[in-house]
Amino acid sequence: MEAGQVTERAAPAVGEQVGERLRRKPWLGAVGVIALIFIALVIGEGLHDVAQTGLNGLSLGAIYALGAVGLTLVYGILKLVNFAHGDFLTFGAYMAYLVNVTWGAPLVVAIFWAMLMTAVLGIALERVLWAPMRAKHAGLLQFLLMAIGLAFLLRAVFQWFWGTEIRSLDVNTTSSVEILGLRIGQTELIVVIVGITVLVAVGLGLRMTLLGKRMRALSDDLELAETAGIDTRRVILWTWEFAGGLAGLAGVMAASVTSLYPEMGFELLLPIFAAVVLGGIGDAFGALTAGIVIGVMTEWSTLIIDARWKTAVGFLVLLTALIVRPQGIFGKAKAI
Amino acid sequence: MNDSGPLLEVEEVVKRFGGIRAVDGATMNVRDGSITALIGPNGAGKTTLFNVVTGFYRGDRGSVRFDGDRVFGEPPYELARKGMVRTFQITKALAAMPVIDNMMLAAPNQPGELFRNLIFMPRGVRAHEKQVRKQAMELLQLFNLTDLADDYAGTLSGGQRKLLELARALMAEPKLLLLDEPMAGINPTLGARLLDHMQRLRRESGVTFLFIEHDMEVVMNHSDRVIVMAEGRVIAEGDPQEVRRDQRVIDAYLGGTATDTAHGEEVTQ
Amino acid sequence: MTLDPATLMPVGVSFEAITDIDFWISVGVLAGIYAIVALGLQVNTGFTGIVNFGAAAFMAVGAYSMAILVLEVGISFWLSLPLAMLITMLFGALVGLPSLRLRADYFAIATIAMAEMVRLFAQNARGLTGGNQGLFCADDDPSNCYANSWRDVSDSINGFVENFWSDPSSLFPLLLVIWVTVGIATIALVYLQKTPWGRVLRAIREDEDAARALGKNTLLFKLQSLAISALLGAIGGFFLALNLATLHPIDFEPLITFFAFSVLVLGGLANYKGVAVGAVLFWFVIEGTRFIDLPDPPFTETRIAALRLAITGLLLIGLMAFRPQGLFGNRQEMVLGE
Repeated sequence: MEAGQVTERAAPAVGEQVGERLRRKPWLGAVGVIALIFIALVIGEGLHDVAQTGLNGLSLGAIYALGAVGLTLVYGILKLVNFAHGDFLTFGAYMAYLVNVTWGAPLVVAIFWAMLMTAVLGIALERVLWAPMRAKHAGLLQFLLMAIGLAFLLRAVFQWFWGTEIRSLDVNTTSSVEILGLRIGQTELIVVIVGITVLVAVGLGLRMTLLGKRMRALSDDLELAETAGIDTRRVILWTWEFAGGLAGLAGVMAASVTSLYPEMGFELLLPIFAAVVLGGIGDAFGALTAGIVIGVMTEWSTLIIDARWKTAVGFLVLLTALIVRPQGIFGKAKAI
Repeated sequence: MNDSGPLLEVEEVVKRFGGIRAVDGATMNVRDGSITALIGPNGAGKTTLFNVVTGFYRGDRGSVRFDGDRVFGEPPYELARKGMVRTFQITKALAAMPVIDNMMLAAPNQPGELFRNLIFMPRGVRAHEKQVRKQAMELLQLFNLTDLADDYAGTLSGGQRKLLELARALMAEPKLLLLDEPMAGINPTLGARLLDHMQRLRRESGVTFLFIEHDMEVVMNHSDRVIVMAEGRVIAEGDPQEVRRDQRVIDAYLGGTATDTAHGEEVTQ
Repeated sequence: MTLDPATLMPVGVSFEAITDIDFWISVGVLAGIYAIVALGLQVNTGFTGIVNFGAAAFMAVGAYSMAILVLEVGISFWLSLPLAMLITMLFGALVGLPSLRLRADYFAIATIAMAEMVRLFAQNARGLTGGNQGLFCADDDPSNCYANSWRDVSDSINGFVENFWSDPSSLFPLLLVIWVTVGIATIALVYLQKTPWGRVLRAIREDEDAARALGKNTLLFKLQSLAISALLGAIGGFFLALNLATLHPIDFEPLITFFAFSVLVLGGLANYKGVAVGAVLFWFVIEGTRFIDLPDPPFTETRIAALRLAITGLLLIGLMAFRPQGLFGNRQEMVLGE
């Protein structure tokens, strides 16, 4: 009988160690890349321009991040590619329009109303559409097409009630504020502040509250969470509420900063997906960070290319992330 | 073409997932014309090794030689064309296709799979199809599945699907057939039939078998050689009686999960 | 809005359109265009299992390539067609190479992103594509319009048709050519599906690993499947371009892809012959919204457009929820999910 051989493994070489480090913490590489880009832009265009566009990018990034956090949790927990998520943003914006413009209430009230109504929409759809389909063991194609169908249906509703005209919320679009030599619109500044505050709160909530931990647990491994005794149905409903609320807020912010029309949210959907994929599907922190990064990158790009091409940044990030590293920069390498 | 050495040579293969080394330097050989069993406690890395050897996972380090050729890192379809065919733990009988289509799919070197042949030699394609169909029916005959030829594979029972998968794998004209737990989930009579088929195929067609198995009785009575894995490494290799008495093997099973001894034979000194 | 007690229809809705020949011809043209595109999607989704949400991009690349070759490179219309087909197939292969190894849902997202990039390019590369202004005639020679050669052929066909039908619709020749194409494409695909090549596709549809374990280079087959839908998409794009006589980026928005998918699932998955039926039915309803005289309050133009969106959405949701096999889908052959 041949004896099984005991093998001696040599110590890994230095290059291998660095590669190992980067492989285990790929986001270090991403930080490095962003730093390099920043330095290159500052050298090329000057700190002021980089900072100015960066500030503009923060408001865009906050919108992306708010949209992405909800979307990534739904994708991670339910494996649902919610193509209708963009229309959740639009829904929130139109709800705000209803309260703010049609009924004349202050914007603050409109925001709460928008978040509430969008959360309700999310839960209603889960109850009426998604949960029954899961119970039926529907396949991927069915879910994908239903999500898209829902997106069109929602858009149809917006178009029916509010037409295709471009509308705006009752916000201050003219005055601007100066901070550290940088200009930013008053409304945009509010958007950035509200956005970042909410995102920080969301981040803390996910980390510290029991619900937050449960959402992350489900997103990581649904079956494991079930066997651990977590009431998954409850958590799933809360997740939809959460995703809806944040989407509604993101929609109001988008409508405040740009304008409101039926396709508004769908046009934001792809960059939001980019944030979801880049941050790692199911990873709320990743989506949050990636959203802001993509927003800032999109605005930075206007320093070197014509502004009408800037939306390509989001698309390119999405395509690159999907092709090169679908698990995102924070995700673990799995067999795909 | 290498006639003197082993058909399959695996050397120092490593496969990592994140921080875990699922296969941690595995070395083993499979002799041409043998029926070799690959055993080991759960988590020993058997299926992972299968996946690396057959190209479904990219191994991190090591070498694999099949029939003398270096094949480490080659894609699965390339290896299948060279004669290394595998089945899966959860049977992959294609339910949305009739049984006969499942079989004909597996035939190697079909001109009709190349687009240009469909345009430039349609008659040659049709002739080859006829031939493949005949071969498929003959093989189905061996497994008593001819009556089901036109039924969709989804309507077959679990045991029938296992047979279909084996028949289909044979259709691919393998030199080495890697079976991942062929006995799992089928009743003993069917299992005995499968084993008979294996012996006959080895005898009559010279097919070499490497199979992962948990049932010790099957391993002891039907394999020429046994390879034992534990914790990602091969800890013993030899004929069934010797391996059974090897202290390292006993330790590995007692140290790990004991489910593998559930089928009767105890691995004792 | 009041209801007529005799018919229970809202007073003011008239269905005269149904006897209007122009209605049927416009239904026929659009149905034919989308049947061609949906046939390509059938190869992808119904038979290979790849979820291609970028059909609009193939139509755009085909149509714009043709128009650009005619208007800016100066090639004859007839030569531009095979060239544009080649360009689109190459584009499809280029897109497919990095993305076809992705999981189905990632691939779906990637193809939508790719399609929107194509549209962004069409909108902003104004020098090449005319941007949002559109492309129909050459800037330097307004008499050179890409549809000219076709118009001549169309007129001569109608010259012949006048022997039987005194005042043929100007779209009639287009209708004819489109449906001959639908017929040829359907026959070709039905034949292709019965070949060993088609068999490998069906294996990939259900379980790619099983196919690979049996020696099939699945990436190659998936690329070929994508190339076929690129070809058919390009042809659909040509006909769309001729139907409109001008090209705008908005003509290739994502909604177009999902019109094609609606046709596909209505006709039924894994069945080529059902596609034509699905197309006619779908466009009958959609065009119906345009031709039925719906009373103006509440049915304004934008609301009728919204109705079309709603019909598409409801159709997709309803079919996928309650009858995923559509009208003629092959239930046994449909592999919907894990």
